[in-house]
Amino acid sequence: MVEAQEDFTQERETKIIKGNVAAAYAAKSARVQVISAYPITPQTTVVEKLSEFADNGEMPGTQYIKVESEHSVMASIIGASTAGTRTFTATSGQGLFYMYEMVHWAAGARLPIVTTIASRGPAPPWNIWADFTDIISCRDTGWMISFASSHQEIYDDILMSYKISEDHEILLPKFVAYGGFTLSHTSKPVTIEDQDAVDDFLPPLPDERGWPHIFLDPERPMMHGNLIMPSGFYNEFRLKIHYTHTIAKQKIKEVTTEFERKFGRSYGNGLIEEYKMEDAEVAILNYGELAMQMEEAVDDLRNEGYKVGCVKLRYFRPFPVEDIIQIANKVKVLGVADRATAFGSPTGGPVSSEVKAALYGSGASTKILPIVMGLGGREVSLEQQKNQLKVLNQLNETGELPKDMIEGTFWDGLLEVD
Amino acid sequence: MTDNGKIEITFHGRGGQTAITASQLLAQLAYEESFKDAIAIPIIGAERRGAPIQAFTKLSRNKTIKTYDSVLDPDYMLIFDRSLLDIPRVLETIKSGVTLLINTKNPIDTCEFPENIKIFIVDATGICIKLGFMHSSGPILNIPMLGAFGQLTGFYNLDTMKKVIYSEYGEAKGKKNLEVAIEAYNSVKEVEFE
Repeated sequence: MVEAQEDFTQERETKIIKGNVAAAYAAKSARVQVISAYPITPQTTVVEKLSEFADNGEMPGTQYIKVESEHSVMASIIGASTAGTRTFTATSGQGLFYMYEMVHWAAGARLPIVTTIASRGPAPPWNIWADFTDIISCRDTGWMISFASSHQEIYDDILMSYKISEDHEILLPKFVAYGGFTLSHTSKPVTIEDQDAVDDFLPPLPDERGWPHIFLDPERPMMHGNLIMPSGFYNEFRLKIHYTHTIAKQKIKEVTTEFERKFGRSYGNGLIEEYKMEDAEVAILNYGELAMQMEEAVDDLRNEGYKVGCVKLRYFRPFPVEDIIQIANKVKVLGVADRATAFGSPTGGPVSSEVKAALYGSGASTKILPIVMGLGGREVSLEQQKNQLKVLNQLNETGELPKDMIEGTFWDGLLEVD
Repeated sequence: MTDNGKIEITFHGRGGQTAITASQLLAQLAYEESFKDAIAIPIIGAERRGAPIQAFTKLSRNKTIKTYDSVLDPDYMLIFDRSLLDIPRVLETIKSGVTLLINTKNPIDTCEFPENIKIFIVDATGICIKLGFMHSSGPILNIPMLGAFGQLTGFYNLDTMKKVIYSEYGEAKGKKNLEVAIEAYNSVKEVEFE
């Protein structure tokens, strides 16, 4: 057992680490005070790395709680956050589903909890690989939901998350999702920032008085989790969460700008990131790591003379309606690629349905092509993404749809079966 | 095969032969040697000791790497276990222009390979046994394979290996690692084509 150091220390350094390890470093840089953990693939190495930090004495004072299920993970995190501490955990797929009851509770209680999701396909059949259907299922919980598309973005977005969530005008929990294995287990250079710089960027840790609206303090007794009659404030509480999501967009933009000023890394306007959209005729919107890979596909096709662009969706909740309308108006055809399912949907995957809803009544005449692909971690190669752009280009020029259209959605990369 | 200063490497090993760790260490070594970017991509399933496993490393001298997909057209292939050359999906990627590094103590029959490739061999298993560089179920092949790879490509030298190994494993454990790396670095041989 190493002797505990007196304080969190970290000098700015760039290390080649897995996406999961980047998440653990971010939690450490944010000086989280309580971590509750239960292992599940592909998230496990996030909480393993944090347990190593805690055991090595690198996170002095941080409570690391091992519990018996994901439901208990979120229950204990809710307790810790209610007591006025900065909290962190991570989960994936089935673990998130098991946690689900408490997920709603955290948002309803307006607790600024940050949780990372190494997304995986829901079972059955058992699947542990990248698929965002798990996090999408939390759409209506009240949590803010963002996607990271690179290893560095995992680290950076977790830091930004605390600043957004803990803002006294927001006070909502936040998920940061990234693809299982595609980001969680691949290794890339990640810059871990100087502890003083992170301290300076983030709000101070809550003092013993806790959060402004909720606390556990015998001197200031407060009732928690009481029953509210239908005639009570239930509707108005829900409306307040809804309203907070609408004002969170501005907060996200501000924090992203401040992050860029301080650390020099930019993430578009915070809600979306455009790539070569200026003169694009067709474009495609992705989220997660495939949004990053799509930039390479755009570069390659531009070299071949195609006027194509792409957009990275960073936030699913709050959903950037205004930005979506703006980008749709820049192009004639917009593909929306979902690595997630919305069974029976007439409007494609979950994000393309949101995009279509956002555009309804906006006056935009842009043609939307919903694309579903890469479910359960099926590889989406650079070549496949280049082909998607060509499909959009063809749709624009000739009106011809790809052959794998099923009820209005392009299911790309299906196996050749009868 | 790719241009733009981009180099792609595939690793073929069996579970327990430490090929996945090798793919990560290679990314570190290249990044340390002023490559602009590097990514290590393991293919993870339900592998057990002995099952064929695969990993990729992509290196770039001047551009940010934005892709996360598999390497199907490698510049280099590191074969940790010669028996893996019988697997069709491994054989498929042995194309003109590729360089192979094979862990073997026996000679290679070049007739079995296409022309216009290069083959290097190193007895990584033998080196591990000789120097006692073993884990619970066999030789730790990542370090000797990377030692040999550094010598045949010139991407990094032994000083860089020392730096990365010591920072990763500490000096006490690192010394043995380095000894193994040096032995492989000095004993890798190119196979002459008939």
